[in-house]
Order: sequence, then C-alpha cells, then structure tokens
Amino acid sequence: MEVLQYSLRKLVAGIPLILGVTFVSFLLMVYFGPDQTYELLGKNPTPEQIAEIRHQLGYDKPFLVRYADYLRELATLDFGHSNSTGEKVSALLGRTIPVSLMLILPGFLLGNLIAIVLALVAANYRSGWVDKSIMGFSVIGMSISYLIVIIAFQVIFSSSYGLGIFPVRGWNVHSLADYVDYIAVPTMATVFVALGYNTRFYRSVIVEELTRDHVRTARAFGVPPAKLLYRNVLKNAMIPIITRIVFSIPLIVISGALLVESYFGIPGVGKVTFDAITTGDQPVLKAVVGLTAVMFVLAQLLTDILYRAVDPRVSLK
Amino acid sequence: MSATTGSTAAPMAGTAQPAAGERRRQTLWSKAAWKFRRDRAGMVGLAVVLAYFVAALGVWTGVWATGWADVAGGKWEPVSAEHWFGTNLIGQDIFQRSVYSIKTAFEVGLVVAVLSTLLGAMLGAMAGFFSGRISDELILWLMGVLDSIPFYLLVAAIAFALEGNPYAMHVAMISTFWITTGRLVRGEVIKLKNLEFVEAAHAIGVSEYVIILRHIIPNTFHILLVQSTITFVAAIKSEVILSFLGLGVKDGMSWGLMISESTFEVLAGFFNNFLAASVLMFGLVMAFNMFSDALQDALDPRKVS
Repeated sequence: MEVLQYSLRKLVAGIPLILGVTFVSFLLMVYFGPDQTYELLGKNPTPEQIAEIRHQLGYDKPFLVRYADYLRELATLDFGHSNSTGEKVSALLGRTIPVSLMLILPGFLLGNLIAIVLALVAANYRSGWVDKSIMGFSVIGMSISYLIVIIAFQVIFSSSYGLGIFPVRGWNVHSLADYVDYIAVPTMATVFVALGYNTRFYRSVIVEELTRDHVRTARAFGVPPAKLLYRNVLKNAMIPIITRIVFSIPLIVISGALLVESYFGIPGVGKVTFDAITTGDQPVLKAVVGLTAVMFVLAQLLTDILYRAVDPRVSLK
Repeated sequence: MSATTGSTAAPMAGTAQPAAGERRRQTLWSKAAWKFRRDRAGMVGLAVVLAYFVAALGVWTGVWATGWADVAGGKWEPVSAEHWFGTNLIGQDIFQRSVYSIKTAFEVGLVVAVLSTLLGAMLGAMAGFFSGRISDELILWLMGVLDSIPFYLLVAAIAFALEGNPYAMHVAMISTFWITTGRLVRGEVIKLKNLEFVEAAHAIGVSEYVIILRHIIPNTFHILLVQSTITFVAAIKSEVILSFLGLGVKDGMSWGLMISESTFEVLAGFFNNFLAASVLMFGLVMAFNMFSDALQDALDPRKVS
C-alpha cells in the first residue's frame, strides 16, 4: 500500500519532466525539423495540392494545437501511421524494439556483471599488481572509441582478413544458432567498451565501502574475504550500482544501439528513429521521444523502490 | 573540502601544519601541484597532450599538414618515404590528413570543454546557491529534461534545426555535457554557502551575485578543472561517432571522417586510413585520461584510490 501510494505520487511528480522532454523535442524535431511537404507531392504541384498536403501533415495548425495533439496521442498511445512507410507506428515499434533488446541485452548484462566481478577483484587486491592491471585495462577500454572497436572486431572476427567466423552484417535470425552468430560481434564490442567505464565506476564505489569501519570490524572478526566482499561490501554498495544500471535502461530500449544497428545494418529501433529524424517522419519521432521520457520517469520510480529493497533505512516519503 | 585560492589561503582543519620557518607557506594549490608532479602516469600524459598540442599549433599556423586536401598520389598507395602512412582512395596523403585532424580534435575539444564548463559552473552555482527556491527547481528540471532525451537523437535534431550549421555538433554537445558539471558544482555550492566566509560576505552587505562570482565559484575551481578535462575527452570521442553518422564535422578533416571513410576500405583489405586515425586518436585520448586521473588524485583530498 505504501509502495502504491508512493508510486502514484512519484508518477504525478514526473509529469513536468515528461512535459519538458516532449516540449523540447517537439520544438526541435517537429517544429524545426525537416519539412516533408514537397517529398509527398508530385511535380509542379498546384497551390491547392500544397495546402492539402500541409493540412494532412498538420503543418497548417498553430504550434500549441499541434503540441496538444501530440500530448493526446501520447496519453492514448496512438501515434497514427508512419509518414514514410505508412506502417502503423505501434506495429513498427512492436517489430523493432524486440530486435534492439535481443541485440543489446546480452552485452549490457555481461558488461555489468563482468565489470562488477572485476571491480571486486581489483578492490580486494587494491594497489597490488592485479588491481593495477585491471585498472590499466579499464583506462585503455575507456580510451578507445566504440566505433573503432566495432570496426576492429568486425575485421578480426568476420572478415576474410581475420578469422571470418561470424556474418559481416545483417540480421537474418531464424534459430538460436543464427541469433548467437549475429549478435556475437556486436556483443563483444559492447562488452569491451562497457567494461572500461563500468569497472572503474564500480571499483571506486566498492573501494569507498571497503574503507568503512564496519568492514574493518568484520575483518577483525575473521570473516573470510569472499563472504566479506559479498555480504559486507557489495550489498552496501548496491545503491550507486542500481542507479547506474536502471538509468541506462531507457536509453537502451529506445535509442537502442543506434551505432551498432546502423553499422551492422540491423533493423532495430535505434536505426528506425535515426532514419525518422533525417526524413522528418514525425509520427515515429513523437512516439519514440515520448516513450523515452515516460521510461525515464518509470526508471526513477524503480530506483527508489529498489533502494528501499536493498536498504531498509530508506523511507519512501 | 574546498581549495582556497591564492595568498589568502588558510590552513584547512585536519591538514598538517608545517613547522614555522621550516618550509615556505603552502597553499592547497601548491600541495596539489606537488602531488601531481610526483604522479608519473599523469606527467607522461601531460607531456603527450602537450606534444599533440604543438602538432595542432603547427597545423593552425600553417607550418605542416598544409597539403591534406591535395591529391598527391595514386589510389591506396602503401607506406613510403613520400607518403608516410600511404594514400587514401583518391590519392590524398593519409599522414597529413591524420595530423590535420589533431587540430580539429583540439578545436572541438576546447570549444566544447570551455563552454560547457562555463555553463555548468554558472547554472550549477545558481542552482546550489538558491537551492530550494524556484530558480533551483527550474535548473534541475532543465537538467532532467536534457538528460532524458537520447544524446544522438538530440544531436540529429539540433543539426536539422540549425539547418546544417557546422557548429550544430558543438551546440548539441555543450547542451548536454554541462549537466554533469552543473550537478557536481551544485552539490559543492550547497556545502559552501553555509560556511563562515559566505556568511561574513553577507554580513558586510556584499550582493548575492558578487558572492557567487567572487567567493563561491572560485572555490569550485578544482571541480571545474577536472570536469573540463573529462568533457574534452568526451567531446573528441563523440565527434568520431557523430562524424560517422553524418552529423559531425562538416568542413575540414577529422578522425571521425577518416574512420567513416575507412569503414568499407577495411573490408577490402586496406587498413592505413583506419589505423592512422585510430592510433592517433587513441594516443591523445589515453594521454588525456591519464592526465585527468592524476589531476583528480591531486585535487580531491577525499578521493580514495
């Protein structure tokens, strides 16, 4: 009951954020965005035809009316049809979001799990050679551009100049084996890049916890190192870890892996959105931006509830 | 803890007082500089960054890499004395292009780092100083809003809204990169504004904006310094991805453009373009990261490493 009340209050408090995000993006992407009038018209259009298309696209209505229409669409989750392909926006998202999730989730999970393990090991052997090599690796990971990693891994694993064991690009998934084949290279690249930043972040969180008095006491009482790291350190370091993980979820679901998708030619939501911006496909843009904002509010709510789950001292007030 | 400035520095509680007359008077800045100089990785990083900066100055003053756009050879020539890194698809010298790109990287990095740090310092200090009031709420709301728009979509949208203006990329980066700095400064200012020196300034009737500008912001300088190095690196790395997506550098040459040029070359077995841009970029970013780490260690007394 308490959680429910809290959630409702939090959702109401999230409304200004949703309004802000939708307004800024509406202004940028729709109002100042590309004008589709002449793409939809034939040659030598008459003024009546131009006016009709502009009316169809809603360009002739005043700004605030169009923005209000958008908010109504967001509330009813009905964004109409894509201007470019004529496909229903909900069907388009329903088709592409699962692809992005399948593509990104393995890398996201591995990137965080491996990073937490590496961070625990590094923190446990703090300032020894194990720590120094892990942190050295992490600085290297932070310094290489994602794009460079993607290209290098593609050459190494997919091209005839390297091992040539995975498909170069595309998305032709019919079975589990196909799936593993197609996500292998993107996942390795994602994990490689994620490890750099994540390991460093998690290590600093864990080291800070390790220097606390309660850890020293536990150590003095002879708690074995593995148990100490899990029970006394990791559990207490959960709050920043949860924050980092949950807040990356909205960006993953919606903007997806834009770079990976456009590089490997995978039909995910990131690529669809990017194409929508460049062509001015407003219904798609409105849906994606609106949903991202809503997901951010939900992520905030989720972190607060999770804080409560890992730390009973946190009150939902 | 804040770093106090200049000759007015008072010893902070908890720092060891040097015995009178034995050592010169120490400020927190001189202690930080001493600590930084002993950090070997940081000094190496700084030296490499300075070397890159000299290379960029050379390009800027027209001493070298002037022929980056000239067609000087055949298609995909291998490494030779004339073309140190070979030539690209249309016969341009890859070495000159990659050196010219150093200048582009510094331009993007410096513009974005300086402006987003300034913006973050101003808005962060305002929010922190007036915390709990309406201006704070507004600035926090703005941060939340800009944080919730996916970065690449925001850049693409700004690029279109500015109708292909070459600075669209800079504007987009600045409008998101100031947020982290702003949040950090806000947190620090909330601590600072309850200290005695601010109370004293209030008591003798200094106006609020003068307090913010002359007494509060200088005390967040250590945060700004570290954040600007982090932003610099982020800007260079974003430029590469944005240029690949066609949203980045419009005129001139950059590592991002070279790498996107190379994406089909590597599948045809020609790696010079890709390697030249990636290795030079990796060197600069790595050196800057090492420099930035050492700076953090030297300036943040609470940091446990």
